[in-house]
Amino acid sequence: MLAFTKRELYICGALLLFLLVAPFVFVNFKLQLAFMLILIILAMTWNIQGGEMGYNSFGNIMFFGVGMYLCASMQIGLYFPLAEWTESGGEKTFVHEPDQYFKGLALGLAFAAMIPPIIAGLIGYGILGLRGHYFAICTLGIGIASGELAGGIELIGAGQGMTAPPFPKGLGDLETRGEFLYFLCLILLVATFTFIRWLYTTRFRLVLNAIRDNEDKAEAMGIETMRYKITGWMISAFFCGLAGGLVGTMVGYIEPVEVAFDGREMGVFMVLMTILGGKGTLWGPIIGASAFHIFKESFWTLFLGWQYVALGVLIIVIVIYFPEGLMGYLREKKPEWFGEVIDEKDRKAQISLD
Amino acid sequence: MKNLYRSILTFISVLALVFSFGTANAKVEGDTIVLGAAVSLTGKYSTNGEHTKNGYNLAVDRINSMGGVKVGGKSYKFKIIYYDDESNSKRAAQLAERLIKQDGVKYMLGPYSSGLTKAIAPVTEENKIPMVEANGASRSLFTKGYKYLFAVLSPANQYLEVAIDLAVEKNGGKPVRIAQAFEQDAFSQDVRLGVLDAAKRTGSKIIIDDKLPKELNDMAATLAKVKAVKPDVLVVSGHSKGALTAIRQISEMKVDVPMLAMTHCDASKLAKQHGAKSEFALCASQWHKTLTYKDKFFGDGIKYDKDFTKAYGYAPPYQAAESSAALLVFKDAFERANSFDTKKVRDALAKTKMQTFYGNIKFGSGGQNTAKPMVLFQVMCKSGKCENVVVAPTKWAAAELIHPIPPWSKR
Repeated sequence: MLAFTKRELYICGALLLFLLVAPFVFVNFKLQLAFMLILIILAMTWNIQGGEMGYNSFGNIMFFGVGMYLCASMQIGLYFPLAEWTESGGEKTFVHEPDQYFKGLALGLAFAAMIPPIIAGLIGYGILGLRGHYFAICTLGIGIASGELAGGIELIGAGQGMTAPPFPKGLGDLETRGEFLYFLCLILLVATFTFIRWLYTTRFRLVLNAIRDNEDKAEAMGIETMRYKITGWMISAFFCGLAGGLVGTMVGYIEPVEVAFDGREMGVFMVLMTILGGKGTLWGPIIGASAFHIFKESFWTLFLGWQYVALGVLIIVIVIYFPEGLMGYLREKKPEWFGEVIDEKDRKAQISLD
Repeated sequence: MKNLYRSILTFISVLALVFSFGTANAKVEGDTIVLGAAVSLTGKYSTNGEHTKNGYNLAVDRINSMGGVKVGGKSYKFKIIYYDDESNSKRAAQLAERLIKQDGVKYMLGPYSSGLTKAIAPVTEENKIPMVEANGASRSLFTKGYKYLFAVLSPANQYLEVAIDLAVEKNGGKPVRIAQAFEQDAFSQDVRLGVLDAAKRTGSKIIIDDKLPKELNDMAATLAKVKAVKPDVLVVSGHSKGALTAIRQISEMKVDVPMLAMTHCDASKLAKQHGAKSEFALCASQWHKTLTYKDKFFGDGIKYDKDFTKAYGYAPPYQAAESSAALLVFKDAFERANSFDTKKVRDALAKTKMQTFYGNIKFGSGGQNTAKPMVLFQVMCKSGKCENVVVAPTKWAAAELIHPIPPWSKR
């Protein structure tokens, strides 16, 4: 099933082509597009828990934040004393040379990828035994707690926040930084997509679905559900951590509660986007995240000061009219797009019963 | 199959359409100079964001109605594009990017709070866009070597240093015992550094050093400790919410301290909201209407206070005054540069030396205003009507500091 069908090939090809040329066509929208890619990654990884496994996690933001802090700290710490960099009111200004910047970033991203899954494994072992609302509330607490904890660690700037190393000056023109970061995000998105698409063709997905549908039954059938749950969370943590590392570099300023462990926004958005697109599908999170981001960037500023009311309306509309998400809606209206054949005669026959 | 292909094409073209919106704006359109600002209209800084916006707007109206900005013999008017940063640094950075890249803004005004300014500064710096900010006081903003950042206000570490000096003076020159509680954010942590410096200088001892969470609305734990150890000074800083929470709980728990030093008393309209409960609170302020600075647009502080109150229905806190001053600085720089070139405007800004109703303005090498001292005022009540009265420095003092604060049993 790993091979693409012809139709999928067309879609993926067209999208990839669009994403490859987009930064050069929409020059001024590069970083906004890069953010969209990040949101897609977050939604896709959240879908592993929320959609496939039926565990509504509000804690994935923790991996995002940890990745962000790790990436920046490593990038700085590799060449300069981190404590002096982040010291509030620190008088020193350190400058990364281009090769220091890129080597540091590579190392930082490596850490941002490796550490969050380890944390996910350790915490997951403790809390993935919880189910339903208990799990949701517990992860919500973890998300909030990690922000407060980070706000107390002086080494990473505590409540002051820390600045990520600026892109080396004199390297290319004004657009270079944007292009560099955009393509890093694109690479991560392609990697995430490819991996998750492959994952969804394996038995692993079936097990996750079994856990969602009836965990006790799955266990009774001899599936060691805990192992699968933890593995799933670790996969999410891996990609979330990387996404966090990239966002930290893009934003340039890392603050514990608003940028890194931003459960109130990013943490909720990833759930919202997945539900908007249709959870438990491969394409749902992608469609949801794109639609959400475009809606947000296009119309947000029109409702100066009222945007969250508008968002509330959007959520209500989604819940009422698209309870299964956009994908679910499409599937119901156009089942033939999903390769589902409906026997018209049979359907009519059923209707004429009464 | 064909349907699907077509719908994807539609999707992509819709995307393209949406993204091509509003790109072609320029920094100077006709006779208008467009400035960009992301301010907090929602979220935890919404009150102060509103003050900032009103301050900007009042100055824009005033400058435009008094002949505008004269560049190259032609008169231009100011216009500001506002976005709501939702009191969120990530959002603020994105919006700065958007203002510069998509709206074509070439000159920026600052947001409210040090944290948000810290998030925006790397973006303006990267794009070489001059930003005059009026509400980011954190010292760490001025040590990063930013070349395009200019702040009309005094750095945060100076906020409460004077209060500690004053406490020591009242203690007969002997060191004092300080209890302090600061919110976990860029600004308050810098105020804390200033207090630490002052404590070190005077040999004073810090006996309580608490951190308060963001969005704070409870500090009872700190106050319970204060009640137990009886320090000479209690220092609290946590923006408007912090000031309101502190007064509410101090009066509820009847905490007696000889001196209570805070920030943001006027922004939170403390004297009005809590009345006599807030009496004797000592507050750091960037500006007070009774100071004797003058300019030709707003006259002096008293007149600014009157005009602002007429326009917006409340007395201007210093956050509004400094925001208005930012536009006066921009106007002055444009006229001296006599050009719209960002580099030239930036150089003119760096050479700013002027007096506004808000105070003298001259930028140090890091972009901070080095020409204006902080003032301290104390909330004083007369027959139920409470007011902020300047008590330090002595040059502007309108009344003697009341010290120590009488205990609750006698109030």
